[in-house]
Amino acid sequence: MKKELKIKEKSTERTNPLARVFDDFISFCQSKSLFMLHYCTGCGAIELPPAMTSRFDMERLGIQPMVTPRQADILLITGYVSVKTLKRVILTYEQMQSPKYVIGICSCTVNGGMYWQSYATAKKLNEYLPVDVYIAGCMPRPEAVIEGLQRLKNNIKNDRKEQKGSAWKDYFRRYDYYLGNQQHLFGDDWQTPTDIIAEAKLYGLETEETYGKHTDQLLKIQKPLLPQEMKVRMKP
Amino acid sequence: MRPENYQAVQLGDSNEYEIFIGPNHPGIEGNYAFRLLLDGDTIVKGTADAGYLHRGFEKLMEGRLWIQNLALVPRICVPDPAPMEVVYSMAVEEIMGIEAPRRAQWIRVMQLELSRVAAHLFTFGGHAATTGMYTPMFWGVADRDLVLDLFEEFTGGRVYSIYNIPGGVRRELPDGFLQKLSHLLDYLESRQNDYDNLLFTNQVFVKRAKNTGTLSKKDALELGVTGPNLRACGLEFDIRKNDPYLVYDELDFEIPTQQHGDAYSRILVRRDELFQSIKILRQVIEKLPSIDGPIRTTIPNPLSWNVKTGEAYARVESSKGELAYYVVSNGKDKPYRVHVRGPSSMHAVQTLEHLAKGARLEDVAQIMFSLDACPPEVDR
Amino acid sequence: MNKHKSIDEILKKVNDVKILHKRERRIRVDVAADSLTTVLELLKGQASFVHLSAISCVDWIDDGEFELVYHVWSYEENCLVSVHTRIDREKAKFVSVYDLYKPADFFERDIYEMYGVFFIGSPRMEKFILTEWHGIPPMLKDFDSESYVQNTFNWTEYNPDWLQELEQQGGGIAIKPEEIRLSGELHNMSTHRERDKKKKQDNVKGWKS
Repeated sequence: MKKELKIKEKSTERTNPLARVFDDFISFCQSKSLFMLHYCTGCGAIELPPAMTSRFDMERLGIQPMVTPRQADILLITGYVSVKTLKRVILTYEQMQSPKYVIGICSCTVNGGMYWQSYATAKKLNEYLPVDVYIAGCMPRPEAVIEGLQRLKNNIKNDRKEQKGSAWKDYFRRYDYYLGNQQHLFGDDWQTPTDIIAEAKLYGLETEETYGKHTDQLLKIQKPLLPQEMKVRMKP
Repeated sequence: MRPENYQAVQLGDSNEYEIFIGPNHPGIEGNYAFRLLLDGDTIVKGTADAGYLHRGFEKLMEGRLWIQNLALVPRICVPDPAPMEVVYSMAVEEIMGIEAPRRAQWIRVMQLELSRVAAHLFTFGGHAATTGMYTPMFWGVADRDLVLDLFEEFTGGRVYSIYNIPGGVRRELPDGFLQKLSHLLDYLESRQNDYDNLLFTNQVFVKRAKNTGTLSKKDALELGVTGPNLRACGLEFDIRKNDPYLVYDELDFEIPTQQHGDAYSRILVRRDELFQSIKILRQVIEKLPSIDGPIRTTIPNPLSWNVKTGEAYARVESSKGELAYYVVSNGKDKPYRVHVRGPSSMHAVQTLEHLAKGARLEDVAQIMFSLDACPPEVDR
Repeated sequence: MNKHKSIDEILKKVNDVKILHKRERRIRVDVAADSLTTVLELLKGQASFVHLSAISCVDWIDDGEFELVYHVWSYEENCLVSVHTRIDREKAKFVSVYDLYKPADFFERDIYEMYGVFFIGSPRMEKFILTEWHGIPPMLKDFDSESYVQNTFNWTEYNPDWLQELEQQGGGIAIKPEEIRLSGELHNMSTHRERDKKKKQDNVKGWKS
């Protein structure tokens, strides 16, 4: 349940009278060119090749597959997420550059789907990552996938008015909540190489809920990442 | 604890270093990881790392009704789901001591062969894409979609049909369906030349695929390789012929083989198999209208259905190899134990590790796709 | 059927072997745990059963035993033999057949993870699929997957507005999903019928009074 947050963000007052126009123009451009990292976590991945290739042709919407997380805008989670995969999904998500969007495909990402009984799969994806759009179905047809992507595009385009296309900010604003759920599943010694708190400070998205007992736990065990020592030995 | 991924570079006293491929990698089929120890770009040792798709299927099936499990089983192999439900139904039928009516058996053959056609078309595209050729992928996926349209028409589902039940199939074929199937087969046959020119005789592809991932017949038998991968090594063996199920012993088809056991032989076997499947489907079109009768036998109320005590080991030839289910019942309304033997559990782990040794880094993706490995069968 | 008889003759040398011809091309063999490797060696050496199709493990918790089933196939005889044997559930140790069949590596590792049976001599007795799992082996019958899920995860129940409205008016779902999920046994049809009967009786009572 989302509460109304007291946001102590940096002053968002814009002095330029044309700021709104520029903001709208930027979000319009963003919505027209999206690179999509599709993480094949489950069965839903089988409907993506038809959606991407000639029959349904996602590319006409300006959406293209991308193979690395750092250049991608959308993280597509295609199907149930086992606990082992969820760790990698979170690592992938944190490596992506903001603004970033998450789409959960298949019923399994919504509430566990037909694997509600399974000990190995995580049930609700939005407990661990902020999800922009869910596409339910087992599995959703390519038309549904494209419909969902359209909705994401509209959300991004109208973000200033409707505030729907910026779920990624929620990850910084309520990091303690997400981290708590992650720790519940992976154990208290869970740590990722990305420093989310520092990033939140950088973006000016710190709130009261960024911190909490879970982040305290993280700070206790967190080791700073040091560059690895390079040793190269040539063959004699 | 830092996840294992972050110790990717290991610099010891030797020149060897370790890198990871997967689980999220375009050159890996599905959600699967592979750890490689490299010297230069030659692989010294490869270790498979599975479990990303583990859902505990076998545990889930113990907690659900016999009939509920039919919705669960096709999820074990996504590109080729039809054999899963057929083999599960066959196992339950064997325990129950019932037999599906002849018409249902013919319809099942049709479903299995259509699924094989779809799976092979998908594999061509995937295999070609690993060598940098993307057009066959577009063609393969588009042609596969035509098969999925037919699936949608006669089962109601595009990918997962859930069309079989123990004792027969769910629905009668729609009117004029065989006509449409016949048109599709005509179309696929007319594409043969295009595919040959684009892919199978294309020197760009042939030079990459020949002598890549060569598996000898002896190693193949030792490692438990089955299906098209075994036939590419020169052994003429097909469960449809040698351990016939359904009505395959009444059908006329050949077992295509190749001798070299490399990636090129494997894709050629699949190509020939595709046309053998079309041949089988033509026979089904011819025979099916003359076979009358019910499409399923009567079974008890599926919601309170206690299958009698017993066990059965049913196996079929899926598009990837030998697929088998070991089902044990203790007379209750739920299975006591279901063990799934997916063909890829042999191909994607030990065989891939065996073939990776000495291969080059850029060939790993091709070897994996040429084996047509399906990770969910490993993890279940 | 001649060929199948030859298998009978081969296995005669082993003590305590029960052979059952289930149907064409399917033979069931029951042996004691001690002579299992002997049987497999004989089958492989004298009847060319070179293909290990699968090793299945069944947890018979009431008998306190694990049943191991080795499915072997011969490309020459075209016959599948399932060799059944039972081992103690508490001890949970057995010999590996890796030196006979290489695919045993995968299956034995799988059984080790899922059931905790240790195979002596198997090359890789380590975690493979369940590397992130720290509980007891999940396929054991003692492990209750549902209660584990209840304690670990929470999932969204389907409770849309129209259903809430219906419930306010006194309607709703007859059997709630939780009732099916949480009851140890399946909520089968008979209880459903009993409930209907009760409802009818209540209605009748209400009408009479």
